[in-house]
Amino acid sequence: MSTETTYARASRRQLASERPRVSQRSQFVGLYGRELLRTFRNPWVLVITFVQPFMWLAFFGSSFSGASPALVQQIFHTDSYIAFLLPGVLSTSMLTVGMFGSMSTIQDKRFGFMKRILLTPTSKATVYWSKVLGSTSRGLIQIPVMILAALVFGVRFAGDPLMWAGWILGIFFLGLGMSCFFLAMTASSTDWQTPGVISNFITMPLMFASGALLPLANFPAWMQAIASVNPVSFSSLLGRGIVVFGTVDWSYLGYLALFATGMLVAGTAIASRYLKAE
Amino acid sequence: MATNAILTENLTKVYGKLTAVDHVNLKVGEGTVFGLLGPNGAGKTTMIKLLTGLTDITEGEAYVAGFNVRRDPMHVKQRIGWVASEVILDDDFTAWENLWLQAKLQSLPEWKDRAENLLTYFGLLDRRKDRVKTFSTGMRKKLEIALALLHQPEVVFMDEPTIGLDANTRHMLWDLIIGVNKEFGITVLLTSHYIEEADALCEQISIIDHGKFVASGSPTDLKARVKADFVELETREAVDETKLRAIPGVTEVRTQGKTWILRVSAAEEVLPHIFSALKTDEIRRINVEKPSLETVFLDITGKRIDQPGSDVPDYRKFYAQMRRARQ
Repeated sequence: MSTETTYARASRRQLASERPRVSQRSQFVGLYGRELLRTFRNPWVLVITFVQPFMWLAFFGSSFSGASPALVQQIFHTDSYIAFLLPGVLSTSMLTVGMFGSMSTIQDKRFGFMKRILLTPTSKATVYWSKVLGSTSRGLIQIPVMILAALVFGVRFAGDPLMWAGWILGIFFLGLGMSCFFLAMTASSTDWQTPGVISNFITMPLMFASGALLPLANFPAWMQAIASVNPVSFSSLLGRGIVVFGTVDWSYLGYLALFATGMLVAGTAIASRYLKAE
Repeated sequence: MATNAILTENLTKVYGKLTAVDHVNLKVGEGTVFGLLGPNGAGKTTMIKLLTGLTDITEGEAYVAGFNVRRDPMHVKQRIGWVASEVILDDDFTAWENLWLQAKLQSLPEWKDRAENLLTYFGLLDRRKDRVKTFSTGMRKKLEIALALLHQPEVVFMDEPTIGLDANTRHMLWDLIIGVNKEFGITVLLTSHYIEEADALCEQISIIDHGKFVASGSPTDLKARVKADFVELETREAVDETKLRAIPGVTEVRTQGKTWILRVSAAEEVLPHIFSALKTDEIRRINVEKPSLETVFLDITGKRIDQPGSDVPDYRKFYAQMRRARQ
């Protein structure tokens, strides 16, 4: 009797037996693992992840290199614009992580992989969460690289480990919220252009109407109003307080947690209803 | 008593003004290979989407592996496998990683032995650590079937599994499908618009056209229903239809583009009459078809299964070709 036949008979016997209980955790681990593997196996993603922080700090950070130290101190309340800029750049970079998650989802729909997933007992919510955390994780990879780049540019950091953990958690909440937003907006889309269009639409206003690149004190009142509800501002201000001044306002972290939770709840509801297989 | 692996009652799917599946009643016995045969846009893929819970049912009921698709879609999905017309795998993953992901999605606690057995069965064990993008089309198809079988499904849906494949790979796949059915005792529902594929593989067939089942039965039964031969005739000059109708033994005349299709009682008796009615140099091409599933389809629907004109572009074939072009 061949091995195949023995196996087939065993298979037939097991057909009648009960199926393993569906484990959302197992499905999530599989899909999230897939997202990470795909990221780390794409050389371009890795190269850009490592090069981009240096470019950001080099180009933006040099914009005040010709200014006198006194002027820099007067505007930014620190003698290093790069130190001032670092939390803002990290926050801004989290604005676009959701776009990559959306594009990955659209690719899965286009090439039929979403159909393969949804033909297993995997809920749309699980697919959504794995995509959200996958794109957020991808954004978080930039944090150590950016900090390394800042050290190369001569930045000296303040704050203690607890503060730093809080700051990183804040960036995570921002990335999570933005990923939730993007993936919910594109749940039913199969058009490659959609994530880019949304990104173009929201990135500029959120970046410039925030304290990411410049101090809020110099903004006109209407921009300050936008900045006061802009999660990019809160992430930037949380980080700046810690990195530059060694102080922390935990209310910023609370706001970011609220933002992420709200987006996750709303996004899960939208994806559960509208996520399409193709 | 034989039980049904798939059962539908007045299954209907409406997209806007289009009724893609129209009150279909289907019974597929356990352990059989069942074929859904129809041209592009007939409703075959929509049937699979309905039966797998991938799209909502507009009206009627569907049961797969004993579970109601509408009420218990997750139970159904634990018991079905799926093989697509395009090969859908993670190209950057190894064969083993693709199986790992499938095991995770099906929440299988013990899967490695099964995966190894399947890879052995399909002759892929030595390549399990290789990335799928290095595989040939045939190997990719084998791996896709292995994925579909990993969780020991009771029903496997194969949606035009051989579309766009060369003849050798197609025949290799036919052997695999027969093997999967016999060796693993799994019910297979296969859609195809390749007549010879349905004839070679399926014990029972339903012909679907415009969302409706127009005929069902075994290939032998269906062929026996057509008590006629068909003569396909292409002429150099225009021919008067009445001239063709007047030929003894011709029971029906249809046109299909520049071609005439004559339904005749017995081709061997009618051919001499055709040659005497038309001058030999008037005939550009003549083709006789004895009863086959092709003539069954022709007889019932009045058109060939691969006849263009359904107005439904074959996107899956296009994507299948695109994917192969990328390899």
